[in-house]
Amino acid sequence: MTDTRSTRRLAITGVLTAILTAVACFGIFFVAPEDADQGIIQKIFYFHVSIALVGLVAFAVGAIYGIRYLRTRDAHLDDVSSIAIGIGLAFSVLVVITGSIWAKASWGTWWVWTDPRLVTFVIVLLLYAAYFVLRSSVEGELRLRYSAIYSIAAFASVPLSFYSVRVARSFVHPVVFTTGGANMSDAMLVWFLVSLAATVGVFLTILQLELIQRRADRAMRRVKMRLEAMA
Amino acid sequence: MNAARPSWFRQLRALLLKDLRLELRTRDTLVAMVLFAVVAMMIFQFAFGGRGQDLSAVSGGILWATLALTAVLGVGRSWVPEREQRVLDGLLVTPVPRDLLLISRAGAIFAYLLAVEVVAVPLVTIFFVRGQEPGDLLLIGLVCLLANLGISVLGSLLACLALFARARELLLPVLFLPSLLPVVIAASGATQAVSGGTNDLAEYRGYCLFLGVYAVIFGLVAYATYEHVFDD
Repeated sequence: MTDTRSTRRLAITGVLTAILTAVACFGIFFVAPEDADQGIIQKIFYFHVSIALVGLVAFAVGAIYGIRYLRTRDAHLDDVSSIAIGIGLAFSVLVVITGSIWAKASWGTWWVWTDPRLVTFVIVLLLYAAYFVLRSSVEGELRLRYSAIYSIAAFASVPLSFYSVRVARSFVHPVVFTTGGANMSDAMLVWFLVSLAATVGVFLTILQLELIQRRADRAMRRVKMRLEAMA
Repeated sequence: MNAARPSWFRQLRALLLKDLRLELRTRDTLVAMVLFAVVAMMIFQFAFGGRGQDLSAVSGGILWATLALTAVLGVGRSWVPEREQRVLDGLLVTPVPRDLLLISRAGAIFAYLLAVEVVAVPLVTIFFVRGQEPGDLLLIGLVCLLANLGISVLGSLLACLALFARARELLLPVLFLPSLLPVVIAASGATQAVSGGTNDLAEYRGYCLFLGVYAVIFGLVAYATYEHVFDD
């Protein structure tokens, strides 16, 4: 019953995400105005920033579900936490790659240590790659508990890393969102929001897919154990 | 029953003294940490200053890169008796508040780091900095105290997580060093701000404040999670 419901939910999210992604790609490349300064390469902004924002949200989800796991010890919450962090990690890799491409086009070099956001994402990558090293090094219930504790500590490190890199380096990153509002035209903002929604959709789809897979995995292991006990 | 139980502070003192006394008798960790710090400085010298370059502009970075790596070594060693001689099992059956286990460990790591810094800071000054004023050393000492707070709190928490892991010697640096990067950035920035006659006190204050905030945040994280570390 629950499996059918989750599968149906996954199908709906997947289809919606596919439609949103297609609309976003069309809008970004054919409708949104080209940036006067940067030209076509500015289009990478729609992907780069959306992935970065959703990646950070994924880490926040990981920490929140880590806290919830510590309070309830429900293994399902650990599943959500670890999958969200996995997706966040994959998104961080994409942020670094797209950022590097953008840096090459804008500043003529693949990597700049003076850009605090890009450097922060590399630190975040290292922080959360360690999460999976920890997970694979500890067994049983300890794995779930320690992963939850680390997910909280790592998430606390993210703003600290950003701030420390930012104060230590000059600020050269194009600042699109300021406290005074978004620093771009309305048409650009609309397509950015569509691409952000599509990225959220991708996150939710992968999350649900992985959750269903883990549940199936666990069910299969239970059946296997029962069969072994019978034999 | 309750009257016989020692106060929180006395229990903390007993735990802390146990660690320090053990270290003073065996000198397993401290000697290795100091030697490691000196060797690391040599490596930096030969890697970057082999052709007689003046490294005073990066002396703060050399000091804190050395101390961060030394801290990993010390933190990794700090729980070894607890695991190898099953001290932790004994401690966990006593009614000692669990937060004390973490606080006393952080205290011991703090003391080890301070002992290393007493040697490392003057050495860096002698090796790499030209024209250091004695007053600056006091300011660098304050940076050490603030940075040690954050390093020891986070180190004791993460070392616990690595305690029962496979390949813990490898796991701890992988867990610890990325979280330590903000400390290295801020502490080396603060040290550089008052090294070799450059007295940029505004920058120094900013970095010191950051180090304080770092210690408070990880103190809160450790306080919120310590119960779950020692759950069994």
